[in-house]
Amino acid sequence: MKKSRISLLLAISLVGGTVLAACGNGGSNGGQSADGVTTVEFWAAPNPPQQAFWQEMAKEYETVNPDVKVNVSAIKESPSSEASIQASIAGGNAPTVAENINRGFAAQLSNSKALVALDELPQFKEMVESRNMTETIAPWEFADGHQYVLPIYSNPMLIGWRTDFLKEIGYNEPPQTYSEVLEATTKLKAKYPDKYMWAKGADLADPTAWKRWFDFFLLYNAASDGNKFIEGQNLVADDKAGVEMLTFVDDLRKAGGVLAQNATDPFETGAGVFTDIGPWTFDMWATKYPELKYGENFTLTLPPVPDHMDPADAKTYADAKGLVIFSAAPEASQQAAAEFLKWVYSNEENDVKWFKQTNLPPARDDLNEVEGFKQILAEKPELAPYAEAVSKGVPAMDNPKFNELQTLIGQEAFNKVIRGEIDPQTGWNNMKKAIEGEL
Amino acid sequence: MNKQNNKLGWLFASPYIIFGLVFFLGPLLWSLYLSFTNWDLIAPEFDFVGLDNFRKAMAAPGVQSAFWVTYKFMMLFVPLVTAMSLAVAVVIQGLPKFKSVYLIGFFLPYLSSGVVASLIVQGFLSYNSPVNEFLRGTFGINIDWLGSPFSALFIVGLILAWKFTGYYALILTSGLESIDKEVYEAAAIDGVTDRQRFWKITLPLLYPALYTTLILSFGVTFGIFTEVYQLTGGGPNFATNTWQMEIFNQAFTNLQAGYASAIAIMASIVTFISIFVIRKLLESWGKRNGWV
Repeated sequence: MKKSRISLLLAISLVGGTVLAACGNGGSNGGQSADGVTTVEFWAAPNPPQQAFWQEMAKEYETVNPDVKVNVSAIKESPSSEASIQASIAGGNAPTVAENINRGFAAQLSNSKALVALDELPQFKEMVESRNMTETIAPWEFADGHQYVLPIYSNPMLIGWRTDFLKEIGYNEPPQTYSEVLEATTKLKAKYPDKYMWAKGADLADPTAWKRWFDFFLLYNAASDGNKFIEGQNLVADDKAGVEMLTFVDDLRKAGGVLAQNATDPFETGAGVFTDIGPWTFDMWATKYPELKYGENFTLTLPPVPDHMDPADAKTYADAKGLVIFSAAPEASQQAAAEFLKWVYSNEENDVKWFKQTNLPPARDDLNEVEGFKQILAEKPELAPYAEAVSKGVPAMDNPKFNELQTLIGQEAFNKVIRGEIDPQTGWNNMKKAIEGEL
Repeated sequence: MNKQNNKLGWLFASPYIIFGLVFFLGPLLWSLYLSFTNWDLIAPEFDFVGLDNFRKAMAAPGVQSAFWVTYKFMMLFVPLVTAMSLAVAVVIQGLPKFKSVYLIGFFLPYLSSGVVASLIVQGFLSYNSPVNEFLRGTFGINIDWLGSPFSALFIVGLILAWKFTGYYALILTSGLESIDKEVYEAAAIDGVTDRQRFWKITLPLLYPALYTTLILSFGVTFGIFTEVYQLTGGGPNFATNTWQMEIFNQAFTNLQAGYASAIAIMASIVTFISIFVIRKLLESWGKRNGWV
């Protein structure tokens, strides 16, 4: 009696376990179903134009390759796309391919052996050559000599300026050096005490790691002429440039030029005069703030630089992201994914389509040469400064601990300087000590 | 007969036992095991690191802040929510009719999404919200509501109090309803004042319900996450960093599942000891006053 009960329990557990295991693997058999169709699970960025592009590509590819099914879905953004990917890997439900991956996150993933080394795939070399991205992809090489990310776009972040307010305080061109910005701040506060020169809302005072790309690294890359911040396991930051940059931030705060509290669209609503702008912003503005017109009431420049530097040569942070293939995916799906990507990038018209639909400059060496790109830039002049600045963009660090390290930049230095709680030199020293301890 | 009752008892208790084993004991043991490893959540291999995670956590500013912030929230949230829910319960109990309608009204925030409530508050307190425009325009003052430690803590506490008031009021109302009306009638004949009636009759007889709400509200402070995550991210300067926030950051942002498990184990121990002490204090308070 007792034995039969135990047998029954075991039977139930086995059946349940088998069903759950089947669910976990999506019921797949090495990525290939019984009818010989290989499935590629493709996770696109949670941005409708990007999702639409990949859906279109998948549909076209399936018509010429009926033995491959590419399922495109958006990466869940709650709580973040990175966390969704991590959770899917931990849960054994990783996709085959995902886009929207930056170097730092790719370093985390490759460190955990979650990614396929793309350079080991037979399609890789052909893909890089046919897409004309040999130079663009070079800095994406990881410390172990492999390429884990195929960059899709490289997007140099620029500074948007409200030229309407600048004109009212006597500027026909945006200020571009630290002294010029501080001088303009004095004039702005005299005319509009309620307005701020740099308004980004609470982001400036928030230690969340990724926020440092769009304030700290934007200014640091400009001040240090693109000097690396961390190389391998070493902090190689340019001390002089770092302190100089933090001093500028501190001076701007002292002049009442920084709004670092929660605010709704401060640049768009006119509470602030400058902020960082990415090209994804323009589609949103077209519906939400149609009154903002490039060349009429806003313009774009590279980040401000110390007085001794030439603003025209300023470096900036490159919000560059790309595709990865996950090692947990079945071998057949990995191969099918590589073939799909090779097919997409063998035709430059697809990159033209991408640029047109998403406003994100494709990561190619010939961005200013291809006729299709030239046409788009002529139609959307606000994208031209981004295309011109591609070579000035410095991508994110490739350290797997980038989250901890960038959190320390905020906690120890940047956020405190913004709030006036620490002087720039002490903040910089504390930050270095904390980062070196973490490394 | 006894054996049959015994079987029936096990049968009825089995869903809870199975639920507890699968969703409580299993994860607890798994978490305990992970806390001694350096697993990063996704890597197939990881090492056993002994007590390193616990040593690291003890010295971490994030963990230390989580420990203290919980008690700060407790000092703010518990009196606030208790006073508010008691007031709501007393007022509703005194209503001639439609008591349940009003109670449902106060209970609705408990069912609402913490994310939505936080987003509304965020918009309400932003620099260019009508409230702040008015304060700046009329009084010339600009308050960074979520940027200063005390006000950030206070706002999160206030949202939670708003959310839980209706729920606790429901428990307290049923406590009030269970007080025999004859006691009040006898007191009225003896000529007691309203104040005496509340302190000498209502409060002692309400003590069991009040004890429940107090224990529940103390417990809430150890599990605060959504509001803090949405509004302050644990800042400024860790001023609103809670245990849950720290665990989330370490596990899902920094990919340190082993270390996060160690923090979770520490949080469980702190929560257990704190609630145990609070329970003992409340019991002795009740006994001292002759309420239990």
